[in-house]
Amino acid sequence: MVTAEKRAELKATDASLIHRIVQRDESALAALYDRYAGMLSSVLNRILRDTQAAEEILQDIFYQLWRNAAQFDSSRGSLSGWLLVIARNRALSRLRRHNPASGDELSENTVVVASNLESSVAQQQLMSKVISALDNLPKEQRAAIELAYFEGLTHSEIAQRTGDPLGTVKTRLRSAVETLKRDLHS
Amino acid sequence: MSIEHPTRMEDFDLYALGALDDAERRAFESHVASCAECAEKVAEARGRVAILAFASPPVAPSPGVKETLMRQVIASAEGPGGSFAHAKPEPAVDGGIFARWWAGLLPVATAFALATVLLWLHNEQLNRQLADLRNTITQQKQELAETRHQADLIAERETMVVPLWSQKGTPESHAEGHARVLYNAKEGMMTYDGWLPSAPADKSYQLWLVPMNGAPISAGVFNPRNGEMSHMMMKLPAGVTAKEFAVSLEPVGGMPHPTGPMVLVGPIS
Repeated sequence: MVTAEKRAELKATDASLIHRIVQRDESALAALYDRYAGMLSSVLNRILRDTQAAEEILQDIFYQLWRNAAQFDSSRGSLSGWLLVIARNRALSRLRRHNPASGDELSENTVVVASNLESSVAQQQLMSKVISALDNLPKEQRAAIELAYFEGLTHSEIAQRTGDPLGTVKTRLRSAVETLKRDLHS
Repeated sequence: MSIEHPTRMEDFDLYALGALDDAERRAFESHVASCAECAEKVAEARGRVAILAFASPPVAPSPGVKETLMRQVIASAEGPGGSFAHAKPEPAVDGGIFARWWAGLLPVATAFALATVLLWLHNEQLNRQLADLRNTITQQKQELAETRHQADLIAERETMVVPLWSQKGTPESHAEGHARVLYNAKEGMMTYDGWLPSAPADKSYQLWLVPMNGAPISAGVFNPRNGEMSHMMMKLPAGVTAKEFAVSLEPVGGMPHPTGPMVLVGPIS
């Protein structure tokens, strides 16, 4: 059963919840967690393939949000996009045993997401759209995109991994990015 | 690409994807750092690339993550660096490890103290019962000794048995009182067994040995309860020859000499 308070939290915008976090309202953080933890958990597990490490990063991201929410400028970018970028960066750093990113990520990484992901319905719709768009890519292009996104490999690293010429890899990735941009954002 | 705008829009997406090799990435970042227009395009490209995360299979985090997070948040608010305007008051129950230790020990200590008191009370009760039993044993030993003494007294040839009767001397007067005295003049030992109605509140019965010569000798004062027999054993001067035994009604506590009416009389025949 969804209470009136819960309904209000579901309707609250990311910006208003961030404002409440700045005012040290922990229920606002809990609401944001409920909104985005599943989305972040999915990508963290996909990259790390380690549930414990994924949950450590997940907790750390929201704790950083709690501590540095005042640095986040909602007018410059979306919270959902920032969360996705930070989650990916942290997971790849863990994967490569790099040092974790600093707390300045919040003000430095401006991310603009065209879609409003504040509702679970919107997230599910976007998921279907992304999966569909990737399925429509040629197999090699999709593989190149996934190696870049989920494993953090550069052009040269993908070429080395697949044994394909560097130029071919660059072409595949560029074509894939162009196709996805058209399919997802047109 | 170091100082020029990226010529193709896909370059922003490839940068956001992290696909650029080191040299390309450094040149790209060098330009974007000083170009607001390209920085905005990078932000948009980050958004476009970020949503590729939705290609991941859904994995819900365990509930413990949120619980741990919220505990961490609350702990940070209550810590030295915390400054919550609406911080909830900390329950005043945590006084440190010794307080927690004592809080855990207190019920045990209370239980031990209660058990000690109960054991002490039980021990006191047992001591009282033991003392009562010892008194009873002592009393029974005395009664046994008296009985044996009476038996020995009766068995001796010098012991005389003297019945005491009401002064009226009729069978009906038996209901007014009767008694029996065993007397051994040689030993100076005497026992009394008899029944008399309760004496008036201000009176006592007094047993007398009336010698052949001289004044009556008090052999004891008694106040029988209504309906009960009276038993007494007395040590009298040895060698006194008795003429009779008598019970008189005297003031409470008895008198040196008989002053009241004789209730029972037992002449030695």
